[in-house]
Amino acid sequence: MTWDLILQQTVNGVAHGMSLALIALGLTMVFGVLHIINFAHGELYMIGGLGLVIGMTHFHLGYVPSLALAIVAAGAIAWLVDGVGVRPLLDQKDGHSTVLLTTFAISMLLNEGALAIWGPSPVRVDGFEGLTSFGPIVVTNQRWFVIGLGLVVLIAIEFILRRTHIGKSVRAIASSAYAAEVVGVNVRKVRTITFVAAGALAGLTGGVMVPITMFTPSIGHNIIIDAFVVVVVGGMGSATGAVVCGLLVGLAQAYLSTLTSEQIGSAMVYGLLLITLLVRPTGLTGRGRA
Amino acid sequence: MKSLLLILLSAGVVVAVPAAMGGYPYYMGVAVYAVVLALFGLSVNLTVGYLGYISFGHAAFFGLGAYASAMLTSYLGMNYWLTLLLAPLPGALLGVLVGFASLRVGGAYFAIATLTAAEILHILVNNLMDLTRGPLGIRVPRPKIEFLANLGIDFYQYYLGIGLLVLLLVVAGLRRLLASPIGRSWAVIKESAPLAESIGIATLRSRVLNIALSGAIAGLAGALFVPRTLVVTPELFSSGLSATGLLIAILGGKATLIGSILGGVVFAALPEALRFIEEYRMAIFALLLLLVVRIQPNGLAGLMSFRRRARAPEVATATTSSDLMFKPGEAMEVKGLSKQFGGLKAVSAVSLRFEPGETVGLIGPNGAGKTTSLSLISGFLAPSAGEVSFGGKSVSGLAPHRLARLGLVRTFQHTAICGRLSVFDNVLAAVPNTETVFTAIRGGQGYREREARRRGLAQAYLSQVGLSERAADEAGSLPYGDQKLLSIAVALAAQPKVLLLDEPAAGLNHTEARALASLLKSLRERGLTIVIVDHNLKMIMEISDRIYVLNRGESLADGSPQEVRNNPAVIEAYLGTVWNKEGVVHA
Repeated sequence: MTWDLILQQTVNGVAHGMSLALIALGLTMVFGVLHIINFAHGELYMIGGLGLVIGMTHFHLGYVPSLALAIVAAGAIAWLVDGVGVRPLLDQKDGHSTVLLTTFAISMLLNEGALAIWGPSPVRVDGFEGLTSFGPIVVTNQRWFVIGLGLVVLIAIEFILRRTHIGKSVRAIASSAYAAEVVGVNVRKVRTITFVAAGALAGLTGGVMVPITMFTPSIGHNIIIDAFVVVVVGGMGSATGAVVCGLLVGLAQAYLSTLTSEQIGSAMVYGLLLITLLVRPTGLTGRGRA
Repeated sequence: MKSLLLILLSAGVVVAVPAAMGGYPYYMGVAVYAVVLALFGLSVNLTVGYLGYISFGHAAFFGLGAYASAMLTSYLGMNYWLTLLLAPLPGALLGVLVGFASLRVGGAYFAIATLTAAEILHILVNNLMDLTRGPLGIRVPRPKIEFLANLGIDFYQYYLGIGLLVLLLVVAGLRRLLASPIGRSWAVIKESAPLAESIGIATLRSRVLNIALSGAIAGLAGALFVPRTLVVTPELFSSGLSATGLLIAILGGKATLIGSILGGVVFAALPEALRFIEEYRMAIFALLLLLVVRIQPNGLAGLMSFRRRARAPEVATATTSSDLMFKPGEAMEVKGLSKQFGGLKAVSAVSLRFEPGETVGLIGPNGAGKTTSLSLISGFLAPSAGEVSFGGKSVSGLAPHRLARLGLVRTFQHTAICGRLSVFDNVLAAVPNTETVFTAIRGGQGYREREARRRGLAQAYLSQVGLSERAADEAGSLPYGDQKLLSIAVALAAQPKVLLLDEPAAGLNHTEARALASLLKSLRERGLTIVIVDHNLKMIMEISDRIYVLNRGESLADGSPQEVRNNPAVIEAYLGTVWNKEGVVHA
């Protein structure tokens, strides 16, 4: 690899890694607050992408209004997923393993439904056009947007968790739902808000990434496995682990894709998940249990 | 006699079904597919239904079997039918790998790990063109058997016959295995892994064994699918196939064998019926899975009440009371035991000694570190410092099930029993055994005698605690006090030399506590060493030979009940001495 290529892939990897960080952050927050793994989380990313495509190609909206549509669509679907497959089961015996099944079934339903209605062919939409070049290195404005927006969102989430009432409730429930309930936190409401917010975040991420990657109904399935690698390596339930590992996995995939094919690169990154489980099953931050 | 009849009946099915379907190759093709899916469903059910671990990537095992068979046949020129013997191996190996990787952390990780493993294999077979020919797939010629063809038997007739034979063998093997001590261990692990460890079940090994077997059966199903498809492609690793397997197991009925067979038939026929809406097929499957999980979690078998009721145990061979004498055990010594949770010292430098045959009470106010000490001694927590020795040998750092096998058995404060198993099966599952998959499936006279002896022991322990009458009832339906007694019977069945009881009297009323005290006394008379943690001081004083008092993680006092009762430090720890103005106790 030449230095130019390494630098180029670093920029691309950071943008891709930022999207993984946001997806994984939603997944890990849902785990922290609801103690479940949402297998349909990747499909909310796909719904965001689909919302953007429909907004731009069917309603002929601009990019930003379509992005808003993507967020709303993913949030709304997340609310439905919560109502059908999560909320009613949480307090049942074996509820947590049942939620694995319901969210898995819903992810398949969304994926196969989109495939049946939309078809498998990729759709291209434009986000922010234009690019910046530094000598041989080219950065599209959309990638700048992903990196910038990602940073803003991460800071905003940190602020919400530290400073606002709802954020403090989220942290209280993450450390003990029982204790939070005792001191008067409405646990059920905060759980739903967390689930829907994580879904909307996934939708936003889909909406900003689709102009880079193109849309197909299978993008949700691909990103959820990336996100699992991130949360397992980073430690389930750890927000810092999700962000740091998200960026690292994004970079690793970008570099590997130049050394070998993109698919083989993905397979190698997926292998990291199994290796982590063999060597250090609780992940690098060593907290999570499911 | 009964088994001979079954064998004849099975042979009849294997011959008669293909014979009757002769001349309808299309329907025989669907029937073969049903057999393949039934096998696949059984393999998923073994893990999901019997062990309680959900897999989203069983296609990985299926695909490995199919590829192994196709590669052996078309690259190495091996006879296809012989590959059926080898094709389960890669699936079993992958099962060991994935099981060992994920099962230490928790069920959700198993779901993630299986999904990821299937995805990795899907990518690899698509891209390793030299080895797998990628998306084109590996072609396998139709594996004719000349001898049978010469007899005028159609290819699909003997293919279906062999398929049915394989299915029957697998079902027969699974039936025996599930009724054996191995199957019983899985049932306990499914309900509570800590309970399983406490009665001496090596939970990790037992779970990995289950996944490996499941992987092998899925691999066998994959290999059996090869002559039906004739081209083995990467699609065999798709998540759609994994989901189909899961749906067969769950729609058919978790933890039933007949359910998976029914499910296999349904899902072989369904795609044919749904052909006119082919592109919606997987979406419909997904919706079906969601509906079944939410509305009819017991599946078809639950609907038709195929589920076996708890069987009343056959009257077991009388076990004489001498069998229930406890061998004089060894002394147990705990030195300088400490445990730190972050900044909190839960237990610091506690030393204890239990002589064979004595009953020792371990008391102290809330937060004294009693239960923590018990968990440290029984291997459920790793001590920060200190040494535990048993019979002069160090046993520090051994896993709970190893300690249980050495004779160190504990019970839990929050009663741990398998609520959905019968009272009798709860006790039976704890009786030690040395059976392997091989001895359990082979059966035979020796095995039956050993099983009868185990059932007799279980019966005896049950009558020891006075629950023989309720042997056939579901354990979860017992009143709380009886559940406590049952958990002691379960611990006794694990054949302890030292029995560690964690708050056995908690939540018991006066009568129940009296019954418990007299049970413990009679156990002591039979030579069992008992260590008991409880807040019921009256009972502790009555039954203990010696008492240790802990306070804030440290040893405060020890001695006979009388000495402890009169020790000022103990009185202070329990009641406090300084009263402030509002009359609130300051300890």
